Amino acid sequence: MSDYLLEMQGIVKDFGGVRALDGIDIKLKAGECLGLCGENGAGKSTLMKVLSGVYPRGSWQGEILWQGQPLQSQSVRDTEAAGIIIIHQELMLVQQLSVAENIFMGHEITLAGGRMNYPAMYKRAGELMRELKMPDMNVALPVMQYGGGHQQLVEIAKALNKQAKLLILDEPSSSLTASEIAVLLDIIRDLKAKGVACVYISHKLDEVAAVCDTVAVIRDGRHIATTPMHDMNVDQIITQMVGREITAMYPDQEHDIGEVMFEARNVSCYDADNPGRKRVDDISFTLRRGEILGVAGLVGAGRTELVSALFGAYPGRCEGEVWLEGVQRKVGSGTPLKSIRMGLCMVPEDRKQHGIVPDLNVGQNITLTVLQDFSHHGRIDAEAELKTIQGEIGRLQLKTASPFLPITSLSGGNQQKAVLAKMLLARPKVLILDEPTRGVDVGAKAEIYRLMAELARQGVAIIMVSSELAEVLGVSDRVLVIGEGKLRGNFVNQDLSQETVLAAAIDQSSQYLTSQRTAQPENAAGNHQESQ
Amino acid sequence: MTSINLKQLFRQYKIMALLIAIALIWAFFSWKTEGGFVTPRNLSNLLRQMSITGILACGMVLVIIAGEIDLSVGSMLGLLGGVAAVLDVTHHMPLALNLLLVLLMGLALGLFNGYLTAYMRIPSFIVGLGGMLAFRGILLGVTGGLTIAPVSSDLVYLGQGYLPPQFGIVLGIGLFALALVLSWRRRSNRQQHGLPLPPVWRDAVRVLLIGAVLLAFVRTLNTYDGIPVPVLLLLALLGLFSYLTTQTVFGRRIYSVGSNMEATRLSGVNVQAVKLWVFGIMGVMCALAGLVNTARLAAGSPSAGNMGELDAIAACFIGGTSMRGGYGTVYGALIGALVMASLDNGMSMLDVDTYWQMIVKGGILMLAVWVDVSTRASR
Repeated sequence: MSDYLLEMQGIVKDFGGVRALDGIDIKLKAGECLGLCGENGAGKSTLMKVLSGVYPRGSWQGEILWQGQPLQSQSVRDTEAAGIIIIHQELMLVQQLSVAENIFMGHEITLAGGRMNYPAMYKRAGELMRELKMPDMNVALPVMQYGGGHQQLVEIAKALNKQAKLLILDEPSSSLTASEIAVLLDIIRDLKAKGVACVYISHKLDEVAAVCDTVAVIRDGRHIATTPMHDMNVDQIITQMVGREITAMYPDQEHDIGEVMFEARNVSCYDADNPGRKRVDDISFTLRRGEILGVAGLVGAGRTELVSALFGAYPGRCEGEVWLEGVQRKVGSGTPLKSIRMGLCMVPEDRKQHGIVPDLNVGQNITLTVLQDFSHHGRIDAEAELKTIQGEIGRLQLKTASPFLPITSLSGGNQQKAVLAKMLLARPKVLILDEPTRGVDVGAKAEIYRLMAELARQGVAIIMVSSELAEVLGVSDRVLVIGEGKLRGNFVNQDLSQETVLAAAIDQSSQYLTSQRTAQPENAAGNHQESQ
Repeated sequence: MTSINLKQLFRQYKIMALLIAIALIWAFFSWKTEGGFVTPRNLSNLLRQMSITGILACGMVLVIIAGEIDLSVGSMLGLLGGVAAVLDVTHHMPLALNLLLVLLMGLALGLFNGYLTAYMRIPSFIVGLGGMLAFRGILLGVTGGLTIAPVSSDLVYLGQGYLPPQFGIVLGIGLFALALVLSWRRRSNRQQHGLPLPPVWRDAVRVLLIGAVLLAFVRTLNTYDGIPVPVLLLLALLGLFSYLTTQTVFGRRIYSVGSNMEATRLSGVNVQAVKLWVFGIMGVMCALAGLVNTARLAAGSPSAGNMGELDAIAACFIGGTSMRGGYGTVYGALIGALVMASLDNGMSMLDVDTYWQMIVKGGILMLAVWVDVSTRASR
């Protein structure tokens, strides 16, 4: 009998030729808490899906030993029966049902004839909540009457009710306030004392440092190191997380940066479902002609909310102003149509939901923004349209056998190029790209970077939101860092390190950072140009 | 590339399958009625019966492609037809003015539905359900629950009139010439852009087939009394709506809105306006259908257009319109309407009980959509 509760050995997982996990080893004892750290897309979630049975045994290589025995699970149901419970970043609660009903979902206590035994469930749910030091919670009330912190605890109660021996928490604190996080960390310490093991996945390294016994870092699907927490500090974890070299993927940028042409002033956004919560908190910045501005930050920091508010596509209430070449517009009154007419265009983050129109062919997708330019009294001049489409296909090196193919038959990279072409035809002065290379292969990535540099050379100002720090540093002239809806840093991209950016994005206690600490003051953007 | 060819083939084949289904239905009824079904008189009748569902289906197919539904069209048809009868019988309004007023009312009611759906964000299913009740109620109020008759002979011509045979021949030749020119232009356009050309024989067979259908159509109808006015109207609408959906900016936007509204909005298209006008067009089609219906019955009836929405919606789905929006054709919807009308007509000739007629029509609708869904999933 091994003294480890869990041993994952040499886990390898491929997604159609792309290696997402490349030989990961994780060991965990009962009552131990392991922090799992890595950049966005490093493979943390994939690893946990392997462990929790979302990917059935056989779809990955390697071995998982659970209490010394190979874990023979085919589904989440099997791993839950073994005592491995995962709590996802997006809580899986049914908002309209009561706390107790949610805790017992799928494992209801029943009376004869399938009737719900509410007294028994309320009693047990009450016990669980007391165990979690929440004796005041009314387990008969709908979950939606409680805030994010309490809901997180309901998820934990649900896991405890299933006799969890190992609890996996994926970004448990991303929607919690500081005091709620303190409660959560206390509860994890309690669970540890009771012999429950935890895997704590978080970008917030101070939490990891506070609650974890060991920390494992993965990067690009590879296991970098597992170290006892008392031998590590936050800076060392960051170094392990990043430690990657920037290759020649990024074009040599020799574009001139001109005068300020775009400005966002005091932009704030409120959550569409929860109007009291600010997603973006009073952000202002300027943008110069021909400048590429990278927007970095953790997932959920408010980057997408910020740029969709600028474009006029944010679903909730928002405040502030945008200025484009002396023309002012209130952020709250914008629509995509007005923005595009103004010269402010956006390629959205979610290609499938917001980018492509699946029933139109490749060409028809490309001309969506400018279709009226080909019309004579409402009739489409098919010849002129086709000529433009073929021109764009050539310019972006979009690989398609014919513009009449369905857009859904193209690869992700080529779909992205089609969406890009659509926005470029609208002749943007300012182009917002939200995660422009997500799900795009390496070759298409390099072509997209080259295109961005070319646009900048033509005087287009570009705002690029990206979760890949290497990409942000590779193509940007300046980098904004957003954390929890606030502007955390504004750096000129000269001798700027990933560690600096990541530290600004992660560090909760940090004051507003400017380049003074690392490179040049932000107000020297003009000097920056001269120095090139 | 091969999978694309297969898919194109299947899409063409789907229309062929529908035509084969119609042929089978016709053959069955001809056999059962000992040829009575395929007499020129009955076919002329069949086409006239189909025209009302067909006119509604022309509008409905746009609504469904745009990702919405309109359940109020049967009641709206009844209301507008009733108003036309009242204006004609009680107020002796001149025909031209009557037509204009009723069409404008149709547009207004349609835009009202569209406004509620697109701008007030009430789901179109609910808007339609509300309109279905409310319009029927207004109709009962306007007519006092009575049949309004007799309407003037000018108006009756709209529903019961026939075109002189010479006109039919000219029309047939004109349409054949149009088919020739369009085929030739398509070929030369594709050639110019270096696109793959279908073999000449395929285009030739197509044009010849169109010619044969036109010849049979004109000859059959001329053998009876000539082309009925409502059938001519339906033909004109087929041409107009096919042009609208395939050649215009507005048409492209209807597909785009129905396929992915959010992506279309983010591309700077005013998606609310597109939906508003789609419902506006639907209203005008209701007005036309109401006028033809009143003219055909020579009276305004408080029960006119009952369940008309279901026939129109069924016609669209039988004709291969996607339930999720984004895909569908006008000619498909009209072929669907022909299927529904053929079933109605044939079963009536056979004196099938009404309850059986309803069961069969319901079954055919589900069968057609099942075939559609199961083949769609395979892609």
